[in-house]
Amino acid sequence: ILSGIYANKAASSRSLSTTSDGKAVDRASLVFDDEGKDVTPHPLFRSDPNTVVPRQGKLLASSAYFGATGSGFLSSFSTHQTSGVNGSLGSTYGSSSTSLSNASTTESILDEIQKRPCLLTSYNFSDVQVRQEEIREWTKEDLDRRVDIYLTETETIWILDMPSVVVSVESEDAGRVLERNRIYVDICKNRPGNDRYVEKMMQTINGAAKNKEVQCDKIIMEDKGLLVTSWDLYDSFNVSEIEPTSKAEGSRATTGKSSTTSSLMISESAVLARIHEEEECHSEAILTSENFQQNLFFMERILMENIFQPKLAAYRQFPVLIVKEAKQEEHDKEKKDKEEQKDAFVDPSILSDLNKTPEEIVPPRLERLWSYICDLTNGHNVSSMAWSKVNPDLLAVGYGAFDCKEQKKGLACCWSLKNPMWPERIFRCEHGVTALDFSMASPNLLAVGMYDGSVTIYNVRSCNDAALLDSSESSNKHTGPIWQMRWVEQDRGATGDGKKERLICISADGRITEWFIQKRLDCIDLMKIKRTESDKRKLPGEKERKREALISQQAAGMCFDFHPKDTNFYLAGTEEGHIHKCSCSCNEQFLETYRGHKGPVYKVAWNPFSSDMFLSCSADWSIILWHQDSQTPILTFSSATAFVHDVMWSPKSAYIFAAVNESRVEIWDLSASILNPVTSCFANPRVKFTSVLFAKNTDCLLVGDSKGEVSVFELQNLAAPNNNKVRFTRTRWWSSEACMLVWYFIPPKGASVKDLANRY
Amino acid sequence: MAEVEETLKRIQAHRGVVATMVVNAEGIPIRTTLDNSTTVQYAGLLHQLTMKARSTVRDIDPQNELTFLRIRSKKHEIMVAPESKSILAPNRCKKISFFFPKN
Repeated sequence: ILSGIYANKAASSRSLSTTSDGKAVDRASLVFDDEGKDVTPHPLFRSDPNTVVPRQGKLLASSAYFGATGSGFLSSFSTHQTSGVNGSLGSTYGSSSTSLSNASTTESILDEIQKRPCLLTSYNFSDVQVRQEEIREWTKEDLDRRVDIYLTETETIWILDMPSVVVSVESEDAGRVLERNRIYVDICKNRPGNDRYVEKMMQTINGAAKNKEVQCDKIIMEDKGLLVTSWDLYDSFNVSEIEPTSKAEGSRATTGKSSTTSSLMISESAVLARIHEEEECHSEAILTSENFQQNLFFMERILMENIFQPKLAAYRQFPVLIVKEAKQEEHDKEKKDKEEQKDAFVDPSILSDLNKTPEEIVPPRLERLWSYICDLTNGHNVSSMAWSKVNPDLLAVGYGAFDCKEQKKGLACCWSLKNPMWPERIFRCEHGVTALDFSMASPNLLAVGMYDGSVTIYNVRSCNDAALLDSSESSNKHTGPIWQMRWVEQDRGATGDGKKERLICISADGRITEWFIQKRLDCIDLMKIKRTESDKRKLPGEKERKREALISQQAAGMCFDFHPKDTNFYLAGTEEGHIHKCSCSCNEQFLETYRGHKGPVYKVAWNPFSSDMFLSCSADWSIILWHQDSQTPILTFSSATAFVHDVMWSPKSAYIFAAVNESRVEIWDLSASILNPVTSCFANPRVKFTSVLFAKNTDCLLVGDSKGEVSVFELQNLAAPNNNKVRFTRTRWWSSEACMLVWYFIPPKGASVKDLANRY
Repeated sequence: MAEVEETLKRIQAHRGVVATMVVNAEGIPIRTTLDNSTTVQYAGLLHQLTMKARSTVRDIDPQNELTFLRIRSKKHEIMVAPESKSILAPNRCKKISFFFPKN
């Protein structure tokens, strides 16, 4: 609205004469306030339009070249939209009482300019009117529309041109100028007292001044501070569709105001009520949101880390900082020395240690780090443990009783190193879990075998308790507990399939089966373990002795192990105490049978480094070391009068294995001693150890017991494993009727063979 | 929901954990195991600190985000898990828990 220009201020310093060149306030240039009332200011002078026109014309004629600037001024006016009535644009524009006729050359040209725009605008009224109409019809889209603005250069506008009055002496006019100067000097000299020059004074009449006051609404000022941070800028650029409420609430202004909650507040009381409501429903939303769950998950893990940090560091074989004083350290060392001296009388293995490594006087020991136990698993018997094939910190533990008397619902839990107090996954099973294994090809599959002979496959990615696949529909499933199951990678050279993974189970109904993972779980028999008579040489499986009434023709299978190098062969241990070597390609007959145990064979294990040797442990209190070419045992280890439930070779050394009988866990080092374990650890009195597992990436041992606790032990100071290339050679061996069997092997550090032989 | 409750309970039941608090984005506690006045005090103070920490992290690199905040003092350790901004849950929440170190 341009009418503000026409408010005239009489106090303008540029008002010069009485005659006014009033700006006729045309109807078009009106000022409207918010309510549409006409508050156009009345001009102080109403000029006679007749007088205006010729002057305008005159002005325009003389200042034709200023026409180009008219629009410029206009546009500048249009930007000065003043709300309210105090539209005075300052003294530069507001002069109405100027007289063109009095414009004298002595006046500065600036004055002219000041007058001129006013006149020009009144001239261009019609234009302005039109433009105003246009403006009023514009809509929002028009404003948003892209407008092309062309900038062109106008002609040079001379704003001030003061020609110099200094002339060079050598110019053409010099003579004339000098002449004039001389005449002027003469006049000045003659002036005082000369009649031709008279001084006269005159007073002008000042026009009546009128004051006008205008009052407008109070302009409310508010201070607002905003700290613009670089992330604020980043967010504003990148975030496109966020609801306005969340945007408002997410103001990151660091003002002390906390009132930037939900933006729909109108009044205080309304605010409070609203906050309460929203809080309630939002708190529900918060508690069930995924993020919250994740945060809780992290929090729990961090708490665990706080608690278990030193133990975990020991597990990872970091040197643990001892923050004790030096005195205490010496104490400890003294104690160790004393212990070692005591042991020296009892345990020849320490002497051998001393011989081998004279600088090391610390005996190997098992140190308990922590246990995986929680309320849920308390009271269940640990039957099997397995590491995940891809994540060496993920452990699956199966809980289920060995006896049929103690059967209750079983459990399979996945524990993570990061949280030793609560398992990551809990799978509840109908029956006791007796075997489990992780798959290699699809590392998220966990196969679980149960006491009733069924096989279930779980997907550990989901927290869901439901099984992925179940063998309950299979017609061929086992009828006895599955004592061992394993995913075995096998070459299928014949069919040209390349390496495939198979799930093999052995169970108490005497069958070794291979399961296929298709839509339904189904299996085929790899082998049926037929009963064999122990002492008599008999063809396996053909005849049945008439004298003995056998319940079944098949012997219960307890364990198996595939050969590490050639996965076509495997060993199967039975309840009768025989170990059969079988081949996948032959379903009917065993390749060989190893007889030595007098009780059920609970575990067989091939030596991972020397692939001709294997160990077996049994309920007859003994562990036997076999060579695959010999049908009689090579070495027998018996150290306690208890069932040996589990045995496992160390993944790092060819001589070391761990065995667990009911009351203790033992570590045997064949390079140190074949009579006694190098170290052992006793169980709590009411608890029996039931399974053992070495950790692959660290020197630790996991031992499961009958109360549901899986303890993690660190193996300290065992002999250095540098014997990957060890070879067991056989020079002399006696039959198992003799008490001792001597087994020669090439020791790693070149100690003499005869010494060892003599010792034993 | 039940799992959340269980996890919360497990965390609270740890020996060494003094208190647990769940706070929403404005600093108003939703769930707490402390008395009211202490809760309000802690919530207010830690809320401000978390905001400042988050602002700092994002100032240095706007694509970064604060994931966890731990304050260890002589007597306690305070752990704050701030919830990151997400479009799904426009109401952010924070979880604070106090942990008294075992040794």
